Amino acid sequence: MLSKWKSSLLLLVAALCLAQDSLVSPAVRRVGEKLSCLCGVCKNTVGTCDMMGCHYTAPKRDQIAAMQAKGMSDQSIVDVIVKEVGLQALSEPPQQGFNAMALVMPFIMITFGLYAIYWFIQRNQRQAAMAISNPVHPEVLDRFRAAAEKEMEKLD
Amino acid sequence: MENLGALSILLALCLATYSFIASLTGAWKKNAFLVRSAERAALVVWGLVALASGILVNAMVTGDFRLVYAAQYSNLAMPWYYKFAAWWGGQAGSLLLWNFILASYAAVVLLLNRNKHRQIMPYVTAILMSTQILFLVLICFAANPFEVLTVGRGITAVPDGKGLNPLLQYWTMLIHPPILYMGYVGFVVPFAFALASLITKQPGDNWIHTTRRWALVTWLFQTAGVTLGAGWSYSVLGWGGYWIWDPVENASFLPWLTSTAFLHSVMMQEKKGMMKVWNIVLVSATFFLSIFGTFLTRSGIVSSVHAFAQSPVGPYFLTYLALGIVITTWLILDRLEFLKSEVPLESVVSRESSFLFNNLILLASCFAILWGTLFPVISEAVTGEKISVSAPFFNRVNIPIGLFLMFLTGVGPLIAWRRSTWDSLKRAFMFPALGGLIVAAGLMAAGMRHPYALISFALCMFVTLTISSEFYKGSRSIAAKDGIGFLPAMVELTHRNTRRYGGYLIHMGVVICVVGFSGAAFNLNMTSEIGEGQTMNIGRYQLAMKNITFGENDNYVFRRALIEATVDGKQYGLLEPEGRVFKKQNEPYHEVAIIRRLNEDLYLNFANVSADGKKAVIQAYVFPLVTWIWIGFWVMLAGTIVCLIPSKVRLEYARTQVVGVVERNAVQVEK
Repeated sequence: MLSKWKSSLLLLVAALCLAQDSLVSPAVRRVGEKLSCLCGVCKNTVGTCDMMGCHYTAPKRDQIAAMQAKGMSDQSIVDVIVKEVGLQALSEPPQQGFNAMALVMPFIMITFGLYAIYWFIQRNQRQAAMAISNPVHPEVLDRFRAAAEKEMEKLD
Repeated sequence: MENLGALSILLALCLATYSFIASLTGAWKKNAFLVRSAERAALVVWGLVALASGILVNAMVTGDFRLVYAAQYSNLAMPWYYKFAAWWGGQAGSLLLWNFILASYAAVVLLLNRNKHRQIMPYVTAILMSTQILFLVLICFAANPFEVLTVGRGITAVPDGKGLNPLLQYWTMLIHPPILYMGYVGFVVPFAFALASLITKQPGDNWIHTTRRWALVTWLFQTAGVTLGAGWSYSVLGWGGYWIWDPVENASFLPWLTSTAFLHSVMMQEKKGMMKVWNIVLVSATFFLSIFGTFLTRSGIVSSVHAFAQSPVGPYFLTYLALGIVITTWLILDRLEFLKSEVPLESVVSRESSFLFNNLILLASCFAILWGTLFPVISEAVTGEKISVSAPFFNRVNIPIGLFLMFLTGVGPLIAWRRSTWDSLKRAFMFPALGGLIVAAGLMAAGMRHPYALISFALCMFVTLTISSEFYKGSRSIAAKDGIGFLPAMVELTHRNTRRYGGYLIHMGVVICVVGFSGAAFNLNMTSEIGEGQTMNIGRYQLAMKNITFGENDNYVFRRALIEATVDGKQYGLLEPEGRVFKKQNEPYHEVAIIRRLNEDLYLNFANVSADGKKAVIQAYVFPLVTWIWIGFWVMLAGTIVCLIPSKVRLEYARTQVVGVVERNAVQVEK
């Protein structure tokens, strides 16, 4: 059992570790949503990260608020932070160069999938048309009629 | 004891290797003795892995901290059930659990089929054992759970262990990992039967009939595992998030998506003899995504809060995946002739087509999530610069895909097999579509402007009405014919075709979950410092701090707030959020307080104490409709159980074959 002063010390350490958050203004949240929280724990944005005293988000929010107080635009604030941290500061890959593939690729795949379905249906319809136009041997037809009757009896 | 444990897993590896070789040789030489011997070796593997697991658990429960694993994940102060749960708290132990579940599945498969499917069973055994070998190699050579601290390090006594991560000391952690693993591991069984059927060129759908229940139960475990993980995240992380698109969460969701596609597409093969290649591809993709997910969690390739410490397991997984994918692809291409559809698809507007679109959308979602998860690694390899792919990306791509899937969930059941006419579509969809539109208009009139939420609620109503109409029409007909009440008729209807109506129940569960997800568009949050006697407001709630207490027990020190919530001056409830610091780990943990209601949850987190130590920093949240997510899961569970019950009426699907095509296929087979 830890003594009271040790317990208090632990609480104090924890309290110091978890720096205090301030309320997030809508303006800070708006810019923060364009920036990824890079704490390594969550996949939230600086605008939406709710971990108290997050070591990445808390100072970034203060930085955003300070730049807003200077009258900087949203984009210029984002640009400053990207310059400091690199492209990984953005919550989504930038829509230029190879990184544009991030957003484009899923929709290319859907388009490709739709085309594959179209091709599959077309091919199947051609097959069906060919099958119907081919004369069916009476023996084969009899065999299927017998099978159908058997199945109908089972259903009854 | 640790020597016995280490010996057990080494012996298990030898026997699994023997079983793999003997079953293949037995099949090749048509030697029944060898095949039986291989099956018995697989059963002994189960015994040895069970023994090793027992030894590890015993070390953690009794506090044998000479073992590195016990010293890292157990300690004397933890309750016995968390000492037991420490089995899967770290890399080596969880791999041992993987082995145990896999060996158990293999044993059950072999026992159930000891007199059945004799032609394919040697290959089933070989495939199960090949996976077992991979995981046994990992715990023998890359992450050994029986490593001892004292060896060569001069340590003679370790008084206490570090203990389980505080975040894992929560009741769902007692069941979430084992259930999720039962899902992951279970996909090996349908895969093994599918591949064995392909190897032996078995005609027909035997492998599907044999493994349908396996696939369904495994899917259920995966669903339960994912939902329990979401529940854990909601209740433990302190900010109410249940899904943050973390790579490890994504890894568990990928096989769920492909297995869901498989469970739909398999009906096309059973009823129409179509999509045979596609079903093999889906079942293989599901299995390989399960292995890939395990690789993602354990290799450190992507950063994740859930990931285990970096360890040298990556190359083993990659080798297995590469070999497995190459062999499976070759087998599929080589056996294409045996996988031809028996009938062609006749119309775009048909149930068959709706299954195709359903599969496309599920796989598109799977691809988008996999792509987003791996894109930081791919981009860094191509451009040399690190980038982030966070929640906004996944939401942007997956929300529209998810909404379209909801639309198909409503459309699918009402379209006829083979082809539908415009008139029949109009008759089937007018009432549900009208219902959806009325909901959207009503919500707009009430002031809701969030576009995705509006579409989502409208689609939820649309799907609910389509499902209800299916139950209503069938039950009404039975009630009239048999002269029974509507409710007994509904039970009778469901019992007559449990798969169909159980499936509708699962769809209903999905709808209910989507209602819960849609509520997130209206979340509220507020952080405030309040001392005794002070209040804060969030939404319609007023929160008054009654008192703040501090204390400790053997495991942790804590601070607890007693907060009274009132609505319009009337008491709504008392909440006691608690902040803890675990002594051994010196890590904070939040025991949140939640008042759960159907309309919304009031969620409080004691995040911190003020600088002067007199006030509590309280994070308050209102999460509308979130309870419906958990209710939706229970409905899905009930639906799956209904699907597993044999139907009262044995349905034989009379395949609507186009005789010319069948004749041509028959001639080809005869040749």
